[in-house]
Order: sequence, then C-alpha cells, then structure tokens
Amino acid sequence: MRGEKRMVYFTISDAVRLGIDYIKRRFQRTAINVASIGLANSFLTSLIMTDLFYATFNEYQGSSIGVDAYQYWLVAVALIVSVVGITNAMLISVYERYREIGTMKCIGALDQHILMLFLVEAIIQGAAGGIIGYFLGVVAAVLSSGFTTGFNIIFMVPIIELLGYLVGTTILSILLSIIASMYPAWRASKLPPVEALSYEL
Amino acid sequence: MSYDTVIELRNLVRHYTMGDETVKALDGVDLDIGRGEYVSIVGPSGSGKTTLFNLIGGLDKPTQGNVFIDGVDISQLDAYELAWLRCRKIGYIFQSFNLIQVLTALENVALPTVFAGTPHEEGLKKAEKLLTSVGLGKRIHHRPGELSAGQQQRVAIARALANDPAIILADEPTGNLDLQTGQEIIDLLHGLNKAQGLTLVAATHDLKMIKASDRNVWMRDGKVERIERG
Ligand SMILES: Nc1ncnc2c1ncn2[C@@H]1O[C@H](COP(=O)(O)OP(=O)(O)OP(=O)(O)O)[C@@H](O)[C@H]1O
Ligand SMILES: [Mg+2]
Repeated sequence: MRGEKRMVYFTISDAVRLGIDYIKRRFQRTAINVASIGLANSFLTSLIMTDLFYATFNEYQGSSIGVDAYQYWLVAVALIVSVVGITNAMLISVYERYREIGTMKCIGALDQHILMLFLVEAIIQGAAGGIIGYFLGVVAAVLSSGFTTGFNIIFMVPIIELLGYLVGTTILSILLSIIASMYPAWRASKLPPVEALSYEL
Repeated sequence: MSYDTVIELRNLVRHYTMGDETVKALDGVDLDIGRGEYVSIVGPSGSGKTTLFNLIGGLDKPTQGNVFIDGVDISQLDAYELAWLRCRKIGYIFQSFNLIQVLTALENVALPTVFAGTPHEEGLKKAEKLLTSVGLGKRIHHRPGELSAGQQQRVAIARALANDPAIILADEPTGNLDLQTGQEIIDLLHGLNKAQGLTLVAATHDLKMIKASDRNVWMRDGKVERIERG
C-alpha cells in the first residue's frame, strides 16, 4: 500500500448521476416530496402574486385593496409542515437504504459521499417542487384575483418581476428541502458499515 | 507450498457488550494467510466467522489485537485510507449479494470503479467485460430483481473484481443458493483464485467449498479450533 496514491473519488457529477437514478427508479417517494414542496410553494407564490396583482391594480385604479397579513402566517405554517413531511419521508428512505449505504461503504464510499448523495436528491426534489409550485401558484393567483382585477392583470406585471419570484421561491424551496434532509442524510452517512449491512427490513 | 503473507491476524478479540453480558464473538485469533491462498473459515453458527470477516475487511474494529494487510496495521489507517483499502484492495461477497436494487447489473459492477476514480466510460467497459467473464454478458442491463439468485451472486462477484483487488472476502457466498448453483459459484471463485492468484478467504458451512480450499480454519466459540490442509 505504501507509495501508492491512496485516494477514493466521488464527484458531484457522480452524485448527480446516481441521484437521478434513484429518483427515476423510486419515483413515488420523490413524487410525494416534490408534491409537498410544490404545494407549499404554490401557496406562497399565490399570495405573493395576488399581492403583486393588487398592487399593480391599485397603481392603475388608485384603489387600495390588499392581501390580509394573517395569510402569510398560514404560508409559514404550510412551509413548516412541508419541511417536517420531507424529513419524515427522507428518514424512511434512509431506513430503506440501510443495506445499500453499507454496500456503498464496502466499495469505497466515505461518509461525505453518502451525505452528498442524499443532498443531491434533496436539491433536485426541492428545485422540481419549487418550479412546479411556482406555476401552480401563479395560476391560482390569476384565477382568484382575476375577478377583481381582470385576468389580463398578469400582463401588466413586469416579466422580470415574475422571473425574480420564480428564482426566489425556487431557491427557498431548495433550501427548505436541504434543511429537511440534513438530519436524515447525516444519519445515513454516519452508519457503521457492519450495522448497515446486517440490517433486515 | 509457501506464500508470502498478505493477511496477518494477531490476538484478534471482538467482544460485544449487551447489558451486563459480554459475548466473546472472537476470543484471541492468530492466523496468517498467504498471497494466492484459498482459505475456508468453517465452524458452527455463532462461532465468529462473520465477525472475523468484518474485521479482516476493515468493516468493524477489534476490541483488541491487530489486522495487518500487506504488513500495514489497518487500525492505523484514517478514513480515507480505509476507504481506499475497501475500494481497491479487497472485494467483498455476501450471502445476500447486497446489490443496489435500483441499478442495473452493469451499473452495480461499475460502481466501485467510480470510487477508484476510473473515467465513467472506461468503468462501464470494464464492468461489461467482467460480467461477460462470469457468464452474464447478455444480462448486463437487467436489475437485480430480474435476475436469479445465482446470477445475482455472479454480479456480486464481478463487482468484487471491479478494481482488481488482491483479496476476495466472501461470507457464505453459497448460503442462499441451491446445490447446483452453489457449485457453479464455487467453481467460479476457485477458478479466479487459481488463474489470477487472488487470495480468497471464504466463511462457509458448505462442504463443497471446504473441499476446494487450500486450508480450512475451524472455528469454535470465537477461537481457532484447528487448521487443516484441504
Ligand atoms: N452486533 C452484535 N451484537 C451482539 N452480539 C453479536 C453481534 N454480532 C455478532 N454477535 C455475536 O457474536 C457471535 C459470533 O457471531 P458471528 O455472526 O460472527 O457468527 P457466525 O460464525 O458468522 O455465525 P453464522 O454461521 O450463523 O453466520 C454470536 O454469538 C453472535 O450472537
Ligand atoms: Mg455469519
């Protein structure tokens, strides 16, 4: 062993490739997480958009309609519920994958590689949920405020602002998904290989 | 026959504490295994075979004593060096195959090459070659769930060989297979041992495996009871 380069490798792109394999082939669990984030984000987005539509409307009409502040509290609750739900789903996914984690460690994976694998999944599902949720939220906002403001209100909002919120809420969704997955991913990465391998589901 | 020593076990002890009780899973094992040797670890259930397998493979830490691989005490290795050892030096084969269910046979076999830093395409080519060599050239895109037990164990063997290890550790590799399939797996392993000079250490209950090996180490209650030449 002496004199040789003793390195193991596992790049982000390896983690992404494997992460996508996992997501594709265990689609159901990911779909539930994506739906959970997506719903929370669509709620948030619909509020932000309604607010935005009303503000735009007020500018043109000189009126002063708005969104009730308490609704933002409801959104906060929805976001927390979604984080807890994802944490739960990810923990189950760690249990399901005990043996695989042990196997990965047998063929050279370090703790941080396992961590990376779970976080990549979290990022992908956060991004998917964020983007889907955003568009659902925009549609919901147009439908709900359209009767007051007119459905063409959406075209009066600068596109750059719409895009800004798309990016913003998607980043938020990714962050929430990462936060929710941190503990499960850490648990998975710390598993001693022997224990992981002898685990019977 | 004389070999240079590749695995040295010195006063190896592994105790499990459960409440007030201490289980002496291994209770002072000394053993030298030569390069290219085929050694069977035999003994009744609970005699410490799997415990020994885990310690040799660096999957578990001894309560006392040392494991030397190529003269290096593996308790001195840091996490990176240990991962390297598991990745490059040792190939593991398990009774229950432990393949990754979501990956195809090809991807399973190629996975260790990822950790070895082999370029992706090259790893896949190597994996295909290995799968062909264990007789699964036509099954490379099947997932474990679509393969028979014997075929899954062949995939596991190909995976164990992916980074050209010096040592193959097998824990009851025929334990979940029928007689005929078990014999095929034994022949395959034996062939690798003879043709490529791989050191093969296999824990087993299987008399057919014991017959094929150079030496049999009989274990009882965490100790080496006797060693016989095969
Ligand atoms: N994680 C553990 N915690 C407590 N005791 C353990 C643990 N693993 C093994 N043991 C004990 O150590 C002893 C040796 O177990 P080991 O699994 O090494 O036996 P084995 O020879 O592989 O048996 P088998 O042929 O059934 O696989 C047994 O008494 C077992 O109960
Ligand atoms: Mg055992």
